[in-house]
Amino acid sequence: MTTPGDLHPLLTYAWQVGLHSWVLGFILYVWVRRAHVPSGRTKRILLVLLLVLPLVTAAIPGRASVEFGERIAWFNSWRILAVPLGHRFHLLDVVLLISGLSILLTLWQELRPWHARPHTTDEPPPDSLLAIARTLPGWEDCRVMLSPSESIVLASTGGRRRPKLIVSKGALAALSAEELHLAIAHEHAHGRFWTESHALFLVRLVQCYNPIALWAFREYCLEIEVACDAQAVAGRDPQSLARVLLKIYQSTDPRDPGSRSMLRKRVDILLAHDLNDAALPAATIAAAAVVMLLVLPWVV
Amino acid sequence: MGGLKGSFSFVVIVAVVMAGLRVLHLGTPLVFPATRPGPIAIADLDEARRRAGFSPIIPGYHPASLGAEPSSISLLLSPAPTLIIVWRQNGTYLSLTEHRGGKAPTTPPLAVPLEDVPDSMWWATGSEHHLVVLRLGFWIDMVTNLPKQDLKRFADTLTIY
Repeated sequence: MTTPGDLHPLLTYAWQVGLHSWVLGFILYVWVRRAHVPSGRTKRILLVLLLVLPLVTAAIPGRASVEFGERIAWFNSWRILAVPLGHRFHLLDVVLLISGLSILLTLWQELRPWHARPHTTDEPPPDSLLAIARTLPGWEDCRVMLSPSESIVLASTGGRRRPKLIVSKGALAALSAEELHLAIAHEHAHGRFWTESHALFLVRLVQCYNPIALWAFREYCLEIEVACDAQAVAGRDPQSLARVLLKIYQSTDPRDPGSRSMLRKRVDILLAHDLNDAALPAATIAAAAVVMLLVLPWVV
Repeated sequence: MGGLKGSFSFVVIVAVVMAGLRVLHLGTPLVFPATRPGPIAIADLDEARRRAGFSPIIPGYHPASLGAEPSSISLLLSPAPTLIIVWRQNGTYLSLTEHRGGKAPTTPPLAVPLEDVPDSMWWATGSEHHLVVLRLGFWIDMVTNLPKQDLKRFADTLTIY
């Protein structure tokens, strides 16, 4: 049987993070389903917990010895990993295979957007576009750039300090003034989450081998989009933004089912008004985090 | 309770998941005995005490022919922590296998109590003597090729290390 002592401490830690992630992910998933937690701040916090808490609980020292696993721990995963599958294979080999596939998926998921990032031209943006962008709070000095793409592409970078907005020619042609205003308001709202989402992106990259982290970060990104949609349509008709999203959906490459599925979900949430930032009290979430902080270290 | 809305269902889910994990933890070695970890090689009796979670019980009587230090100490952690201490030198050996409480080690039908040694079962196979004794709540299984009177001395002088 492979024991923690047979592996490099970093690998043992990585497995513990993955294991805690599976356990916590399952518990939170069932909880969210049972409590009917809709999109919103509560769900976002739970996803942040799922990404961060296992890194903490797996780092608690003194849990790597065989004795702890066998004599003290509530659950010793090394027993499960040692289950034979025939032909000298064990469950550990399946876990290694899943981790390898997750790393490949991460590389594909992160390299593809980098390759497909919108290119910009030196062409000056129309004054109407500048007027929309620079009237937004904090965007008085926003750099606005045009992308030659014929697809509907809008992107913002730089957070609140050095905001930069990229709008494609396709977007200028396909969207009405009101729709463009909404789409830019959505991009403006992203500034609020810039630091948080970039920090979590690093946390997710650290867990590139962990499919639960991969899923959790994807769900988190969806929640950010939903929150930005909500901010963009505040006091306005959500159907207008839904129209924009459907136009983007139609201009998105059908070979990109991930992006299309995310757009579809955003439209559904927008039209169903299925958003609640306080689905669970803050005290409940804090108590749940403390419970898991106390329970997970006994799972090794 | 309004401030902790939803916490009861969370606690129930955690309890169910943890119970499931415990069943897996206990059931896996029963279905797949190969998943039991060990034996773990131990350097000395001090380390044995630390890692087994109990102090080894060893005989105070120690013939020089066995050698001063154990030639090997092994630890099995599952299903119960079990120490295997062996002294071996020039073909002479003594092996002690000890674990706390639980079921008594199996003995053959020909095993009989060793005279003047309470809670004991003794038998011989060729020149090898076996003795199972219950001391301080521990089952101790001794195997040696030393004479039977040495076996009795071992049993009489068993003490906590």
